[in-house]
Amino acid sequence: MSEIMLQISNVDKFYGPIDTGVHAVKDVSIDVERGDIIALLGSSGCGKTSTLRMIAGFEEVSRGTISIAGREVHMLPPVKRNVAMAFEGYSLYPTVTVRDNIAFALKSSGKPASEVAAKVDEIAEMLEITGILDKYPSSISGGQQQRASLARALIRDADLYLLDEPMGQLEPQLRTLLRGRIKYYIKERGLTAILVTHDQTEANALADKIAVMEDGEMQQFASPEEIKEAPANLFTGTFVGEPPMNIFDAKAASSDDTFAFSLQDGSELSFPRSAFASALQDRVMAMDRVALGVRPYAVQRSETGAAARVLANQWLGDQSHIAAEFAGGTLVLVEHDRADLSEGDEITVHLDASDLHIFEPDTGAAISHGAKLVG
Amino acid sequence: MSLVLKDIRKSFKGDLVLDGLSLEVPTGKTLVLFGPSGAGKTVLLRLIAGVIEPDEGEISISGRNMSGVEPEDRGIGMAFQNFALFPHMSAHDNIASPLTAQKQTKSTIQSGVQSLARLLKIEHVLGHKPKELSNGQKQRTALARALAGKPDVLLLDDPLRNVDAKLRFEMRLELPRLIKDQQATVIYVTQDYKEAMAFGDEIAVINGGQVQQVGSPAQIYLSPANTDIARLFGDPVINLLDVTPKAGASGPHVLVSDQIVPLPENHLGDVDRACVLGLRPEALRFVGADSQGAIPVTVETEAPLNEKTVTLAVTARGREIMLSRPAGTPGPSTGPAHIGINARAALLFDRATGALIPAQDTKIEGKVA
Amino acid sequence: MQSVSTLERILRGTAISLVIFFFMFPIFWIFLMSFQTNETILRVPPSMVFEPTLTNYRSLISGTLEGSTATLEIRFMSNLYNSLFLSVTSVTVGLLLGVPAAYAFAKLKFRGSEDIAFTLLSFRFAPPLLVLLPLTIYFQKIGLADTYLGLIWVYQLIVLPLILWIVRGYFEDIPSDIEYAHRIAGHGFWSTFTKIALPLAGPGIAAAGLLAFIFAWNNFIFALVLASADKQPVTVGALAFITASGINYGQIAAGIMLSIAPTFALALYAQRYLVEGLSLGAVKG
Repeated sequence: MSEIMLQISNVDKFYGPIDTGVHAVKDVSIDVERGDIIALLGSSGCGKTSTLRMIAGFEEVSRGTISIAGREVHMLPPVKRNVAMAFEGYSLYPTVTVRDNIAFALKSSGKPASEVAAKVDEIAEMLEITGILDKYPSSISGGQQQRASLARALIRDADLYLLDEPMGQLEPQLRTLLRGRIKYYIKERGLTAILVTHDQTEANALADKIAVMEDGEMQQFASPEEIKEAPANLFTGTFVGEPPMNIFDAKAASSDDTFAFSLQDGSELSFPRSAFASALQDRVMAMDRVALGVRPYAVQRSETGAAARVLANQWLGDQSHIAAEFAGGTLVLVEHDRADLSEGDEITVHLDASDLHIFEPDTGAAISHGAKLVG
Repeated sequence: MSLVLKDIRKSFKGDLVLDGLSLEVPTGKTLVLFGPSGAGKTVLLRLIAGVIEPDEGEISISGRNMSGVEPEDRGIGMAFQNFALFPHMSAHDNIASPLTAQKQTKSTIQSGVQSLARLLKIEHVLGHKPKELSNGQKQRTALARALAGKPDVLLLDDPLRNVDAKLRFEMRLELPRLIKDQQATVIYVTQDYKEAMAFGDEIAVINGGQVQQVGSPAQIYLSPANTDIARLFGDPVINLLDVTPKAGASGPHVLVSDQIVPLPENHLGDVDRACVLGLRPEALRFVGADSQGAIPVTVETEAPLNEKTVTLAVTARGREIMLSRPAGTPGPSTGPAHIGINARAALLFDRATGALIPAQDTKIEGKVA
Repeated sequence: MQSVSTLERILRGTAISLVIFFFMFPIFWIFLMSFQTNETILRVPPSMVFEPTLTNYRSLISGTLEGSTATLEIRFMSNLYNSLFLSVTSVTVGLLLGVPAAYAFAKLKFRGSEDIAFTLLSFRFAPPLLVLLPLTIYFQKIGLADTYLGLIWVYQLIVLPLILWIVRGYFEDIPSDIEYAHRIAGHGFWSTFTKIALPLAGPGIAAAGLLAFIFAWNNFIFALVLASADKQPVTVGALAFITASGINYGQIAAGIMLSIAPTFALALYAQRYLVEGLSLGAVKG
């Protein structure tokens, strides 16, 4: 029995006069179910922070409505919205200790001191800040301040938890571990959280659903798996995924039993016709050119297949990233073991029809993922 | 040796930033300086560039002692983390700067700038001022400027730090080839271990003002000199468990949750020593309950990470362990499970000093080109 | 929220009008006075209705003051020239000395640099008269009293600290990395100063120069004590209008209008620079 915890309906944000000012958020609608973690993902200036600030009430909504737990809140001041927020710039109260910073909201809500202390200790242990609880914000590092700010938000009882780049300053070695613990904490308690981040690794690791934003518009709102397997357009396809998706210019050609893509350098990738739905074949044949995408991890080295020449092979400890010259462009592939390749080596690669993503080259809209036609 | 640093000491306002640091970089090689922020990497680059002077120690480039030599006379190119482009000059004039300093002819300058711009794909923005450039273009302009003077020594201070993830990845693949073609001796500073492994002929891990380890990427990853270095390389971070080796019928071993994890023979001398067992997340895997040495755990949560699935599990004694496996391979996402340890990939460290206790049969293969 | 911002707008508008009225009214009133004769100025109650006359300006420019009883020679135009000459030269000298000094204080942290910079600023703390009395005696001894050179020298007390502290803030704002990059690219120290530091601190130098010009122009006390009639600037020259037979308010007003005209025009023209330069100086200094 899913319940909508946050409903953003057709929200616009203009800086300056409506319709003529800077259009920072364009007609964004998001429904968030209770207990979900949602990430707003995009590069700087994409409108994700404006959206979060409108939810929190720090920014006026130019058009549209925002409801939290069934209550319209977009005209209310921040304090009446019952949201907890962790800020990107830490914003701890400088005159009190980290412990009092974290306990502040609980104390003022009249909880008994012993209960407050126990909760502070628990959350401090989770975020590895037990040792600095009695220090003042000015004497701790940026990463520690950010964890204290996160603790101050997570410890509260609120309908909605808003986390603005909560781990940007965190020590890299701690990030993966703390992500795991925070996700467990939020899920255990059934909390609803909105996370703003430019780091797709963070969004993928924490979120149940990701809203990919660019230029004020929401490009796709879907689970991390769906974004990976069925990106809505060329932007999402190449923005999400590390390393980014390989994209090649291609033109479809079909014969009796094969369906092929001819690439820029004249080479051809051919597949049995049975690999693609016939509606898909008709659609693609009707197009002058297509943008052909394949994720780096889906490219396999094989005995036979298309020829490529290794440009770089970088072993990163747990993965190898290989760049190869292919069809007039660069093809990147990822292997989980150390690859014994060096620059100039000739390799053959195999692309599976089920791993191909086809996009309309001008609008960027996705045509198909694997055998399936979109829409 | 193209660049030699000997016993460099430097302090600022009483804080010792570099404490007797020595390094050598052979001509034409790339050395990555890797370390956490505040480790003194940027200070070291500035010392080499000559914009600050060391308190003690000697820097020589191509055999020439650099003490008292002005920055403009050292034959160095440098790219800065924040680009440091000249804001009042066009991209073209920025790139041309080292050439005008060398009093090259107009046509030489013109062709030099053009060929670099073509190489770095910024021909179309040469007329723009820095503030009209995107971050990626700024970064490429800064690189072009560093390369333009054909320097003997190229200093790159975390040049990919301020560009977006997609561009950073592209440059990570492209830049090593580009700088190889320049045949310069390169010092590359980064805080990103993946960049360090991708770029370096050698990596020097700097911490506490000193070089903690110098080695090929493979050496550093597979046999880190201490637990600090082990923690700096790898994502998710290496699991470190307190253990005490015991001698048994089948040789030395340690117990993890009452299960035997065998150690190489030469660790017989380390029996009863307080140690730390280092287990890379990718060296752990989920196994059936009946498999030998299977360690019972409870899976708390799992999350995707760069085409891997990372699992956070807790042992019966409450120790947290992280595992990673290629995305798409099966594994439990929550609840009780068992994990198996690839004993050959286990690392043993001394608990008091954190230093690696090398296993004799660890053979480090040559570098990956 | 909309209603709050409307109220806010009205309040803000009112407040701004009050401030503008308070500061601009005297100037406006003097502007009116400069077109009136002494009689219309002094009538009670005062009125804004009068027949404008250009006699005040005419007598200033021709140099003869037609009093009720006698005709007086005045040197207003030569005073104006003195003001211009003294201000321009002082600011030029101040910039030549102050800009390199500001660079040194900003970028080359040498022993005692902070103390020296502060000492220079502290010249501004003492009342000018305190400095003037001994200076008068020195200047008479070494023959600098009543010379342009002596005046320009003394004017540095006003101009130099101002330029030094504003421009220093601008130089400090230039990231060292940009200068390092220029050095490493192969350019020497001097080239880096002229090609990088100077252009980037340009707005600050312009603002400091303008402000110093205004301060020098408005100076009264130094010239009053150190200069005789033929070297006096307008600020001192205006005293001539206070005659034995009465005070010529009309000519004073016209004199003020003429003397504030250059600075006023300059300030309006360079308003943006000035505010930027000043606020930066304030934060940094």
